[in-house]
Parts: sequence; structure tokens; C-alpha cells
Amino acid sequence: MLRAEIDGLNIELEEKMSILDAAKKANINIPTLCYEDGLSIYGGCRLCVVEIEGEDLLKPACATKIEAGMKIKTHSKKVRDLRKNLFELIIATHNIDCQLNCLTCSRASNCELKDIAEDIGLSKMRLAPIKRGDSIDNSSYSIVREPEKCISCNRCIRKCEEVQGIGIFTTANRGPETVVTTFKDRGMGNVECTNCGQCILSCPTGALHELYQKDSVLDILNDESKHVVVQTAPAVRVAISEPFSKQAGDISTGQLVTALKRLGFDAVFDTNFAADLTIMEEGTELIERINNKGELPLFTSCSPGWIKFIEHFYPEYLDNLSSAKSPQQMFGAVAKSYYAKEAGINPDDIVVVSVMPCTAKKFESKREEMAGDVDYVLTTRELASIIKSAGIDFLNLEESEYDELLGVSSGAADIFGTTGGVMEAALRTATELITGEELRKIEFEDVRGLQGIKKAEVEIGGLKLKAAVANGLGNTRKVMEMVKEGEEFDFVEFMACPGGCMGGGGQPISSDQNVLEKRQQAIYQIDKNKKLRKSHENPYIKKSYDDYLENPGSEIAHKLLHTKYKARKI
Amino acid sequence: MVQEKLYLKGDKLLDISNYEFKSIKNALQIGREKTIQKIKDSDLKGRGGAGFPTGIKWEMAADVEGKEKFVVCNADEGEPGTFKDRYLLEERPLKVLEGIMLAAYAVGADKAYIYIRGEYSRAIEVFSEIIKAAREKNILNDNLFNSGFKLELKLVRGAGAYVCGDETSLINSIEGKRGRSRIKPPYPIEKGLFKQPTVVNNVESLCCTAEVMNPDSEDFSELGTEGSRGTKLLCLSGDLNRPGLYEVEFGQITLIEIIYDLGGGIKGSEDLRFVIPGGISTAVIKADDLDFPYSYQAFEKRGSSLGSGAVIAVSKKHDLLDLMLNVSRFYMDETCGTCFPCREGNRQINKILKAFKEEDGKIDTELISDIGNTIRLAARCGLGQSSLNFITSVIENYGKELKFGGKIYA
Repeated sequence: MLRAEIDGLNIELEEKMSILDAAKKANINIPTLCYEDGLSIYGGCRLCVVEIEGEDLLKPACATKIEAGMKIKTHSKKVRDLRKNLFELIIATHNIDCQLNCLTCSRASNCELKDIAEDIGLSKMRLAPIKRGDSIDNSSYSIVREPEKCISCNRCIRKCEEVQGIGIFTTANRGPETVVTTFKDRGMGNVECTNCGQCILSCPTGALHELYQKDSVLDILNDESKHVVVQTAPAVRVAISEPFSKQAGDISTGQLVTALKRLGFDAVFDTNFAADLTIMEEGTELIERINNKGELPLFTSCSPGWIKFIEHFYPEYLDNLSSAKSPQQMFGAVAKSYYAKEAGINPDDIVVVSVMPCTAKKFESKREEMAGDVDYVLTTRELASIIKSAGIDFLNLEESEYDELLGVSSGAADIFGTTGGVMEAALRTATELITGEELRKIEFEDVRGLQGIKKAEVEIGGLKLKAAVANGLGNTRKVMEMVKEGEEFDFVEFMACPGGCMGGGGQPISSDQNVLEKRQQAIYQIDKNKKLRKSHENPYIKKSYDDYLENPGSEIAHKLLHTKYKARKI
Repeated sequence: MVQEKLYLKGDKLLDISNYEFKSIKNALQIGREKTIQKIKDSDLKGRGGAGFPTGIKWEMAADVEGKEKFVVCNADEGEPGTFKDRYLLEERPLKVLEGIMLAAYAVGADKAYIYIRGEYSRAIEVFSEIIKAAREKNILNDNLFNSGFKLELKLVRGAGAYVCGDETSLINSIEGKRGRSRIKPPYPIEKGLFKQPTVVNNVESLCCTAEVMNPDSEDFSELGTEGSRGTKLLCLSGDLNRPGLYEVEFGQITLIEIIYDLGGGIKGSEDLRFVIPGGISTAVIKADDLDFPYSYQAFEKRGSSLGSGAVIAVSKKHDLLDLMLNVSRFYMDETCGTCFPCREGNRQINKILKAFKEEDGKIDTELISDIGNTIRLAARCGLGQSSLNFITSVIENYGKELKFGGKIYA
């Protein structure tokens, strides 16, 4: 037992911890900026400094362990005055001016800096903003970087390196020239960036945001000559309400559909339909590879961040990737062929817009192998912004159903939005197709949850299937190393983002520590509430094969629903 | 006339065949514990600037468990006005080598590094030769004088960052990482180079340990006054008639004598305004307050420090603002860029001083003092914490004069 005093309160702790964590336990909030849960301690911003009795210099609460008998003041006058001075210095480098105006900032509605200013009681700004004149990095199809807003807190660097295991960012130069940049200043589009967008979620200043397509989408909606269809990814419906309600875990599928209809989309469809289709194609591929002793393990191919990752770092395993396109791309291909035919619309007049929890989907839509399937990709955040700007009272909307044909889906498709979901959906279908018997228990608990790496052995008929699931690219690399070292798997699900798509780089930026758990529960709840829970039982999937696609793996299915990959340099 | 006391200074020591290694032989004979005890008894304090007791550092390092231990000789002499380590490296490298051996033997390290400031090309050349010769003579990499103690020594060349004189930044630099300070604790003693216990000692400190352990200079530890033992190398510069390197006994010479006797008084017709006593990271001592003996304690009492031993005399011919701008520019360029108070504070101070220079207006001393305080209290390493010492002390002492406009000293 460790006893200490914080702000006059006597506290008892079971174990040693940082002053920051100890203060939290005593319900004392110490402002932080460069600190982020799950990342290494950087100790750069110094906003969390506290006074320790007997010491002249202040100590950062994040990096200082509490000791028995310490008397700590977290908000003394000395500390408060210093924080204000310090924050003035920080803000001066953030370059707030008319061009980089707060009003148009990507973090306008949830600015961390504004929150801190309020928390520390900032009352004056004596320092003029410093103009560095850095140019915007527009080199990526997915992510834009505005270095003038960057305050070098290094959260993006640490996220990319420590969580995702990539490390495209670095600190360059010294003194006031110190900047965060990419290797040789090449820009995010010209380095090994997987476009996952996790850096955006970590950036407190809005220096990183997705490449916006919201204005283009609003323009195309006004173009009468175009038939604009929209698809929504499974993880969007459990997060889109967050920017409106400021709380996580709500399911708002019906409101989402209504909002899209009000925005003027000609048809509102569901990426889930394509997810069911993916299971048919990928499941068939898995069974074929097992039966014909093809390349195993089979790797899922839904996550474009993961795809770029393997192309850069493990190109020798490209043959293990399922050739099935991701649900987003399958949807686009089907919308411009099958749907066009059924609805009697010239495919050239159809515009496909995606709403994705993902920034890498923007890059994916531009891949030359699949160009034209999808025209515009919006992140969940962008759609929320459009809904706001259209004056739609999202939370109070009536619910609507997706349009038919490409709008009906099984619960198996819904769980694509979380880590383990693609695996579970595939297992549901594969088991029934192989054994011909109905599953007694539809949930595969072993692949559920938020652990970074999950392994399971599943018996299907006489076959023992070894499965693994990895989420976050750091964990992905670990599993790839297991594969490299000869650990045997049959089927591996990879998702680039921690938690899977629901934790994607395009999702609303949440201050809720448990946001992933809440979104995941919501996703499983949607699945549970559905009657239809297996992809192969989706009547509209059956219909699409009967009427157009023939069979899973058919020639036309291959032409529309499968793709190729390429090795990339590091 | 005040005399120098010569221990560290002396004839060139470059020929390894004629060097007797008396200190390390002595240490090998009396053993580790007694060696450390002797250094502790000598009351030797680090000569790099911070003044941490060397014996205690060695004792802690000797006691800590580690897979292996390292000794690093900090020869990244970057404090403006300082050139004592350069002298030792170029003229007395065998003493430096012996000091490194002593530290390594005492703490139980079998690998050592010497990190030499990149601009010191002559020192690097000389010391490389010494390492080569020592290897050939089986003094390095082999059982030293048949004692069972073996030491590997590598020379690393710095790449020009002032911050790498800070021990944790220096360690990062040796590891090939960005030169930036580490969060302490853990201190290098517990987890330093390659995460192993590491002792970092300044060149002059190590040479002093060689004096302490040398049977020929047993009186070295008796010199000086309580808390300030031995001798100190002084680097005299600025507006002096006889700038240069001097060695003095602690406590036996006043700052007046240092300036007017050793340094030969002030050059030119203007009077002395102040002395910067230990490099530009130390607070100034006014010309009318020089009559006190040179010791760690006397400077501490005056809110300053003897720092690295760089004594810079500044006469009244200089524009105070120019001096502040010069120092500010240095710190602005040399902050590693990691912690916000140091990076942004020094940038803003430079901006404010510049504006004052150009606009001839009133200087916002409150803002400077707020920023200075923020840096001193919250910066991550010693560089930052001391970066405003000179400027704030000038403003404290001469602020009233400054308020009348920027050009009165021009």
C-alpha cells in the first residue's frame, strides 16, 4: 500500500503508477496534450506538470511515478500560471489565422486545444501566431496533412510506429525548424503509408484529415443527369450518431437511411449486401483451396489498409490473399452491372458513392485494378458533416429501410464491421455449405472480442480448420511473422485498424475510452436482432446469382468480383 | 601575483610508451571498493556543469545490477566559451584514457565510449591514435597489466548538436537515435546506453580522478575548500588582455584575481560590465561583485554556477540587446525540439528581443520573465532549464536601463 497526498486529498494506491493515473483515481483531471492512452510516454508538451513538495522544478504527471509520501499539487497557482504561459506558446505555433480558421478546421466541433484552453482557464493570448509557410501534403489519395497546424506532439508518429508498426512519420530538423514529416519529405502518398488513418484519430490539432470528397458528392447530387446510388459500410451505422449525440454505441441504421434519402440519393443501398456476396466468393475460394490443396492459409482481402501493408511488407505472400474484391468494390461493380440492368439504367449514368469508416477506402477506389467501380468515398465523419450542413435533425429522424435488390443483408454481413466478423461470417457459411447441416450455435465466441490476435480451431465436418484473426497492423505483422515461421493456419482475417472497421480512421473521433467496446456491442446486437444471419441464406444474394452472377467463382463473378494485387517497394 | 596550480595542465602526454599509468595501476592494486572510496573521499564534483559528485555516481553504478555496464566519456564540449576538454584531448589524451579506465574498472564496465564533439577534428585525430596505440600495447582489449580487467573503448564522433552534451541525449546519439534527452528516471546509472547501467563522465572529471588516484599527486584532494576540492580548468575569454586556459585551486583565488591577474584585465578603454562565470547557460555576475573565492558554493549563493569553467568577461562596449540576441539565437537553434517550453519559449524570446531591437520600443519584461519561468520550471532537460539563465539575469540586473529604449548601448 502506497500513501500519498494529491491536492490535499490522502490517497492510497495498491501499486505504483504515474501521478496522472493516480490523480485520475482521485477524480482530478490534469490537462494533457502529447499524452495518449496506449502510446508510449513522450513528455513533450509539459502541460501536465505538477508541483511536488520540496522540489523547485515542476514534474510531468504523465512521466513521473508517484512515490510514497509525496505531496503533490496539480493545480497550485504556480502550476496554473505556468500552464497558461505554456499554452500560449503552444497555440502560437498552431497558426490560427484567417486561412487556417477554426471554423473550417476538421476538428471544429471537437477541438482538443479548445478544450484544454477551457480546462486551464486561458484568459489572454499575448503571442502572435507564427507563420511557417509549410505547404500542404496532398500527395495521398486518402489523407491530407496540413503541417502549419501541427504542433509536433508526436502522437501520429507514435501511433503509426507503436500501434500500427509502420512508422511513416518522423521528426526532422531541430530547434524551431523541428517538424513532423515523412521520409525525405516525400509525402504520405509516396511512402509506405497504408492509408489506415489511425494518425487522424490521434492528431489533436486537425493537421491530419481525410482527403475530402464531400463537396464533390454534394455537386453530383445536384446533377440531374446522374443516377447517384450510395452504399453504407457495416461500421457506419454504429458510429454515425456520435457527432450528433456525443455518445457511443447507438444503433442508427434507420436514421442513416432516412438521412441519405433526404440528401437526395437516388437509391440507398447497403455495403452489407456486398459483404454477403464476399462471403460467397471468399468462402468458395477457401473451400476450393482446401479441397485442391491450393495456397494456404487464405488471407481475407476486405481491408484496404491491410492490402497495402502486405503489398509493401510481405509481397511474397500475395498469392495467399483471397482474390475477392472488398465489399465496397464488389458493390460498385454489381451496381454498375447487375443493378443497372435490373433497373434499366445506363451504367455510364450511375455514380456510386460509398460511406465508409475508413480512409484507405478512398485509396482503394482509385486502384487501377478496380478503377471505376466506386466514384466517391465519404468517411463517416464527412457524412455527418454533410448531414449537419443539410439541416437534417439526425437524432430525431424516422427510420427507413434500405432499397431492395442491393439493400438486404444478413447479420453475418453486419459483423464485418468488427474484428473477427469476417471470420465468423465465413465460418457460418462454410460450415453449413460443407456439412450440409444447420449450425446449432451460430456465434463463434473464440473469434469475438477486442484482443489484438485471436486464434481458433473449428471443426467442420471431418475437417479441422485453423483460424486466426488480427486487428491493427502491429498485430498483423506479428501474425505474418508467425506464418513466416511456419505456424500453420488455414484462414486468417486481417483488419488494419484496431478493433476492425468500427475503429477505422474515418470514424468520428471520440473522447470515450470505451468507444470500441460500445460500437462492437452495437454491431453484435444488430446481428442478434436479425432473422437472417447467414450470408448464403440471403434471398437477394441467391437472386443475384440466379439472375446474373451464375455461381460463386463463375466467369462473370470473377470478372466483376475478383481482383489482383501488386508488390510495392519499401 | 596569483599562481596557477598545475595538475591537469602540463607537458604534452602523447607517447604511450613513456606513460606509466600510475593511477590505474594503483587502482588495480587497491581494488574497486577502495578506488571508489578514494574518489568519494576526494569530494570530486563533475566538471561538465552540473557538479554531481563523481564518487557517488560511481558507487551507484557499481552497485546496480546489469547484463553489462558502460562508461561514456562525455567529450561533446559545446558550451560556448569552453575549450578545456579540447585541450585535454589534444595535449593530455593519456590522462583522459586513464580516467576512462579508472571509471570502467571502478564500476565494473568492460566497454567504454568516448563521444567527441564533431568539430574537434584535431582531438578526434589525436585520440584515435591513442586508442590505436593502446590496442597495440595491449592496454585496451586485453588483460590490463595482468589484472584480469579488460576494456574495450570506442570513439564516437558527435554530429554537431549542443543538446548531445546532455548525457541522455548523448546516449541516444551513440545509439544512432535522434539527439534528444530521455525522460528521467530511469537515470543512465540504472538504464543508459543500450538499456544497460551507464556512467557518463566529463573529460575533465575523468582527468581529475586520475589525479586523485595518482600516488604522485596525493595532495590533489586536499586542495581547495570544503565542497570544492582540487583544481579547476578555466577558459578565460571575452574582453580580456590574456584570454586562455588556466588551472586554479578552488577557494584560493577570487573572481577579481581571475579577471585582472590571470586574464590581464579588460581590453580596450571600456570598463568591465559583468562576468559570465560558467558558459552562457549561467547567470551573470556584476562587475562590482567579483570579490569572492572561486568555488561551487560561492556561485550557488549568487544564483549562478561555475558551470563548465568558461569565464567570459564582458565590457561596457557591447550592446546588451545584441548579447542577449546572440545567446537567444544559440538556444533557439540548439533546442532539440522535443519539449514545448524549450522549443517554443526560446523561439518566442528571440522574436521578442528582435522586435525590441527593431522597433526601439519598450521591452515586455513581464512576458520574457513568464516565458523564462515556464522554460526553467517545465523544460525536459538541463539544456532547456538553464537556457534562459543568462537573459533573465541580464534583464534582472539591467532591465531598468533597457526600458529606456533599445539603442542606448549602441
